[in-house]
Amino acid sequence: MTDRTAPTGRTALPDATAPSRARRRGVAGWVDVRGRRLGGWAFILNRVTGLGVLFYLYLHLLVLSQLAIGPGAWDSLLKNWFLNPVFLVLDVVLLAGLLIHGLNGIRVSLVGFGLVVSRQKALLGAFGTIGAIVLLIGTLMFISHGG
Amino acid sequence: MTGPVDELRAAPGGARELPERWAPEERDTLPGVGWAWQAITGALVLVLLTLHMIANHFVVQGGLRDYQQVIAYITNPIILPLETLFLVVVSWHGLLGLRAVVFDFGLSARAERIVTRVFVVVWLATIAYGVTLLAILVTRP
Repeated sequence: MTDRTAPTGRTALPDATAPSRARRRGVAGWVDVRGRRLGGWAFILNRVTGLGVLFYLYLHLLVLSQLAIGPGAWDSLLKNWFLNPVFLVLDVVLLAGLLIHGLNGIRVSLVGFGLVVSRQKALLGAFGTIGAIVLLIGTLMFISHGG
Repeated sequence: MTGPVDELRAAPGGARELPERWAPEERDTLPGVGWAWQAITGALVLVLLTLHMIANHFVVQGGLRDYQQVIAYITNPIILPLETLFLVVVSWHGLLGLRAVVFDFGLSARAERIVTRVFVVVWLATIAYGVTLLAILVTRP
């Protein structure tokens, strides 16, 4: 079950396991803007949204424990908290984070597998447009639910 | 200073042709098989999350399921394994990503091994928690 890319069990080409420049710079490398290209910014955005979405995942799992308590606990949570306008704003933020992380993840995967490499900017534009449209539709749906 | 991509290009056997406009840092912290795992689980998460969001938020009156609607949803024989698979895959993807972030702190090889084991334990605990919760709800009279 353990990841074979861990330092003890690497199976890829020997040179591929060498620490990268980013890793040698540590987390400080994330905020180093020198010489950073579009892909570098996307990398940071992917990390930040990934951490946010992971935090939400565990928060979500924790909240779901209210279901085990019973109908009263869950339904009052819905009525008193989740339909609150503040939560609806957070829903929009969550959807934006999911879209950024998911669409950028598709882009990184495609490029990583050697596909669409020469069309990265077009890909970014296409995914940016799709993300904006889905976010707009999602926001309108959240607003309609809140109303 | 050469990065892993340059090293791959120079590797015996030539590896495969790598793109010129590569952004190496996007995959360096999960080299080899780990990166492919992240891409595969990411694709699965995308599909299962889309289903989860549509079923739980976009086609439901009011945008959220009340208790009875949740029970009706998860007792569906198709939904239950799908939601369980979603939990397994999304927690794996998330924790593998977090592991890569932790590795960015420049840990020693021993510390990296410990972190990997901790993340596997957290992953298994997450699945155990989710499956227990589902079992409670599905078997509740």
